Amino acid sequence: MSENVEAIHLRKHYKPSEIALKALKYVFLLCIALVVLLPVLWMSLSAFRPADQITIFPPNFFPTVWSAENFQQVMDEIPVVTYVINTAKYAVIVTALSLLFNSMAAYAFARINFKGKNVIFTVLIASMMIPFQVIMIPLFMELHFMGLYDTYAGMIIPKCAAVVGIFFMRSFFYTLPRQLEEAGRLDGLTEFGIFFRIILPLCKSALITQVVLTLTGCWNDLLWPLLMISSPEKRMLSNGIVYFVGQDVTQYGPSFAAGVISIIPLLIMFIFGQKYFVNSIVSTGMKE
Amino acid sequence: MSWGKRLTGYWNKPQHAAYLFIAPAVLIITLFCIVPMLASFGISTMNITTYFTSSKFVGWGNFAEAFHDSKFLNSWKVTGIYTVCVVPIMICFALFMAALVNSERRSDKFFRTIFILPIICSSTVTGLMWKLFLDPNIGWGIYAMEKLGLPSMDIFSNVKLAIFGIVFITVWSGFGVSCMILVAAMQGVSTSLYEAASLDGANAFQKSLHVTIPGISSTLWFILITQIIASFQVFDLVYVITNGGPAHSTETVVSYVYSNAFTTNNRLGYSTAMSEVLFVVILLVTVLLYSRMLAQEKNGGAQ
Repeated sequence: MSENVEAIHLRKHYKPSEIALKALKYVFLLCIALVVLLPVLWMSLSAFRPADQITIFPPNFFPTVWSAENFQQVMDEIPVVTYVINTAKYAVIVTALSLLFNSMAAYAFARINFKGKNVIFTVLIASMMIPFQVIMIPLFMELHFMGLYDTYAGMIIPKCAAVVGIFFMRSFFYTLPRQLEEAGRLDGLTEFGIFFRIILPLCKSALITQVVLTLTGCWNDLLWPLLMISSPEKRMLSNGIVYFVGQDVTQYGPSFAAGVISIIPLLIMFIFGQKYFVNSIVSTGMKE
Repeated sequence: MSWGKRLTGYWNKPQHAAYLFIAPAVLIITLFCIVPMLASFGISTMNITTYFTSSKFVGWGNFAEAFHDSKFLNSWKVTGIYTVCVVPIMICFALFMAALVNSERRSDKFFRTIFILPIICSSTVTGLMWKLFLDPNIGWGIYAMEKLGLPSMDIFSNVKLAIFGIVFITVWSGFGVSCMILVAAMQGVSTSLYEAASLDGANAFQKSLHVTIPGISSTLWFILITQIIASFQVFDLVYVITNGGPAHSTETVVSYVYSNAFTTNNRLGYSTAMSEVLFVVILLVTVLLYSRMLAQEKNGGAQ
């Protein structure tokens, strides 16, 4: 809003220095955008090069000969479609549940005073600092003991709450005006009613950010599914892809193709979803 | 009053309802994070192999050994350099970019969309892509740098440069997300504050310093703390790109821990002990920052 006001303001009296500054800004932004995009573009284009074209010198950006042999090789070696479906199931369920549980907890930590709040929150924050590699093996043993090894339940349940998510949502809930709950209580809403009907709708942008981060995090998670799943038919896309993207890649073509295959589903989601998370969030209803 | 009603009445008090709100998350985190963490304290006092083929109680032995392990100390140096570079660069750059593209103009939305695009690449893909993009034999990136008159070099084989290459790639893949979070926070800052500042004759810079920054302070704290924790725990990119080399120049603490547990020595007890040290350091740093955050919030940072 203020930006629009500012834009009109600028249009009224253009100064040459202002125009130069604007131009400089866009040149700079374009440079950054290029640095962000070029490697991704180059990888995607390289996936379509036949083997002998990859190592030519000088390297060219656009392939001169196009071929799908790299993709064919990846598809022959792993059941890509099954893996995409498995990964989608895992990512969607974890995202939905963790969004609910994280924001509920964050709401209590941000806006309610209750006994033990600081102690519990500090313990949670402390647990965020432990590298996953530390708890990985005891966690694996624990889930094995519970009979959840090689099941989606075992993979999903531990991921359904994350301190980072709680911490993130808390920082958003914290900035909302305190009068919201009082108004809700006066209207006879229950505590859960206040949370679901008043607070959550005001935090759409934060929620969408969380959805994007959790979804992509699950999609790209490598170590966890590798640890928890042994049946080949239950594997995730990242586990399949890693065979082509390991430490000692000698066959560049298939690893480029594997990389492209792993980003395509997210890219599609990204294209359809981007308007939701790049767009304005300013619907807090509290802007006087 | 019926029993059911009395029950709902009890749980409908905010200070009681709070426990229902936190219950699912706290239960999951306790069971699947805190319990294994406590178990790991036990493991760290033992001389135990990764596949449990042998185990012996050694008390503080693993910790004592860690502080005399030159590779472990080196991994701290590497992690320190990485953190000191990544955290400020990431936050300042994301903040600067967020300030440039925080309006609802179409061009700003376009750039924001591009900046967060790297989140679709997993660290495996990011690592592979950049490694090959900057490969002196097949990489177009290094070729283009040469054409622009920059010195051509094999960044990831260079003992001095490799870690900075990883810093660059970390910023590449992460600044867009921080930028998006900051834009969301900036748009949440009340417009009336900006109007008031304008009336007081503040220019754009003064406005961002005195209105925007305080207005988004809780988000800045969030980014600072999570970035520091993530930097101390850096592993994936290093694993894919250099695997700690050349000559241990990119071997971070978690890389060293990982290689001790799973690739070179299978020493689970020792690895766990080293990760406990990392945990304690992160804990201290975070508690310090966290207490500052709370103090600032109390002084009316928000509200």
